Amino acid sequence: MTTMKKAGVRPSWFTRFWAIVRYEMLWNIRKKKFIGVIIIAFALATLGLVLPSILSSTTGTAIAANPNFAITYGASSFGFFLFALATAMNSISSEFESGTIVPLLTKPVSRTMVFLGKLFAAFVIILISYAILFTYTTVGSIFVYGPQNNLQFVPLVLLGNLISTFIWVSLLFAMGSLTKNTIITVLVAVGLFLALFIAIPIVSVFAGPSPSLNYLPGSGASGSMLVGNTTMSISTGTDNIGVNLVNYALYPSANVTFSKVNLQAIQTNETTLPTTGVLYTEPLSLVALRALGVAVVYIVVFLFISWVVLKKSQILE
Amino acid sequence: MDYAIETTDLTKCFGSLTAVNKLNLKVQKNTIHGFLGPNGAGKTTTIKILVGLLKPNSGSVRVLGQEVHVDKADSRLRIGYMPELPKFPKHLKGAELLDIYGRMYGMTQQQRAEQIPKLIDSVGLKGRENDLIGKYSKGMQQRIGIAQALLNNPELVILDEPSIGLDPVGMVEVRELVKTISKEGITVFLSSHLLFEVEQICDHVTIIDKGSLLASDTLQNISSKLGPAMMHVELADLSTAVIASVKRLPFVSGTWKTGNTLLIQVTTYDDVRAQVSKEVTGAGGVIVGMSQKTSNLEDAFIQLVSKDRGEKPQ
Repeated sequence: MTTMKKAGVRPSWFTRFWAIVRYEMLWNIRKKKFIGVIIIAFALATLGLVLPSILSSTTGTAIAANPNFAITYGASSFGFFLFALATAMNSISSEFESGTIVPLLTKPVSRTMVFLGKLFAAFVIILISYAILFTYTTVGSIFVYGPQNNLQFVPLVLLGNLISTFIWVSLLFAMGSLTKNTIITVLVAVGLFLALFIAIPIVSVFAGPSPSLNYLPGSGASGSMLVGNTTMSISTGTDNIGVNLVNYALYPSANVTFSKVNLQAIQTNETTLPTTGVLYTEPLSLVALRALGVAVVYIVVFLFISWVVLKKSQILE
Repeated sequence: MDYAIETTDLTKCFGSLTAVNKLNLKVQKNTIHGFLGPNGAGKTTTIKILVGLLKPNSGSVRVLGQEVHVDKADSRLRIGYMPELPKFPKHLKGAELLDIYGRMYGMTQQQRAEQIPKLIDSVGLKGRENDLIGKYSKGMQQRIGIAQALLNNPELVILDEPSIGLDPVGMVEVRELVKTISKEGITVFLSSHLLFEVEQICDHVTIIDKGSLLASDTLQNISSKLGPAMMHVELADLSTAVIASVKRLPFVSGTWKTGNTLLIQVTTYDDVRAQVSKEVTGAGGVIVGMSQKTSNLEDAFIQLVSKDRGEKPQ
């Protein structure tokens, strides 16, 4: 029946690792959830490019040139979360739920190899998806908004968005390993995302751009930055790593000012505009690199938890 | 002796439950070794330890001369394993699954191209190898499970209930396949509830219950320990008077009660049904059915498990 050489020839680490990546990637690209997210992402990107043209033809006004569209469009908390969810929500948990972990772990692959293979596959899938999306929006923006500035920074925005997405990917990996249940994993991740999505703006309104917001995943604190004669608004959180790294590359000596609106003035029906008080000022370099550091810490901690738990798991399925 | 599987005082507990209790299992190379036990006896737990899915609390495991560890991937290079009711990723096609697993074993493209079609053919999946596993029936999943266990041309194949979910033709095919691979020098360690299946293909048998070893020997030795024959007498109501009466017969060496059926171990090859019938009827018993046959694995299994559970011979 068999003609191949006897078993026992030790394959290289990379050969086995790549087999797991292949196993995982075939799954990812065939997931209906993932295909759905890709379609939504392209639909939204197309809408962002086409809508101005439609409005312009309806109102008869010309589209204003926006040379920074390509390096500022596309950073969305919800988008990062959806991509992470579609790729990683059941990457580990469903192996346990469906029992496919049993034949997988009885192959000559270590649990560390399985973990790294799954992680790398998620990285590659999201990277390719973002690369296609960014190429699409960059080319589209040139047609719609005219020549674009600083296109060399587009890969930096992509990298930043990838890191932002990987906070959620790593959280989903950790929850998947801990609970071995996809529904609980998704509920925890969605709950946390919504809590942060709702809580951060509320905290910002009442407490102002508190420094503590800089250490949570999400949009972070809002500030402003004076560049020449123009004041730019800036969000400091982990969702804006890409854009802030580009800002830092363009304006390395800029400072970000964080101010609090005087709410009491609004409540007492004063007719004048509410005053703002400066809470603190930080160099842009700190804002950009701190968000990067915070994101890396979250990713490393979540992935470490996921890896340790997977290694220690008893396979009872 | 060089064993394919050797465990020493293997123990595995889940909380207060001892699933495997100081098990000393020895499986000789180039044999088809049946692994038997009632439900919950610890068979699957033992097998999961052998393939590195579970870590034992104490004791040691050597498979093909190598210590087994949960995260020691190389120890699984020479083993093929099919879990009980195996589940494979539904998004992969049958041939794709074997191709990916083949890559994990380090098989070259040429080796995979030669081996996979042969295996698909031998397990009866030809023509369905390019269907998604999600569309496979339970029996087809079982067949792809057997194929993946043989993919790396292993020296030891561990099959956990390989016939579950298969139709009668499939069960016969599996038995033939096991015999064929055994002839190629592969050691087969097979767990099964189907005693007739084990009796047909295995040359060695280990019986466990409550995680402990009850017997381990050649099939012939285990069956012959019972004596030449066993009688199965089914009664409308099995009373102690009937049992006592039967035990007085000179050729009866032991009796076991399972429900309303009395198993009688006899020391003669002669047909003693008439004498037993007379004795049972005389003691007020109403016989519903009766048979006398040469002792087999089923009899040995029932006797050993009954003894282990404190059901002493009547």
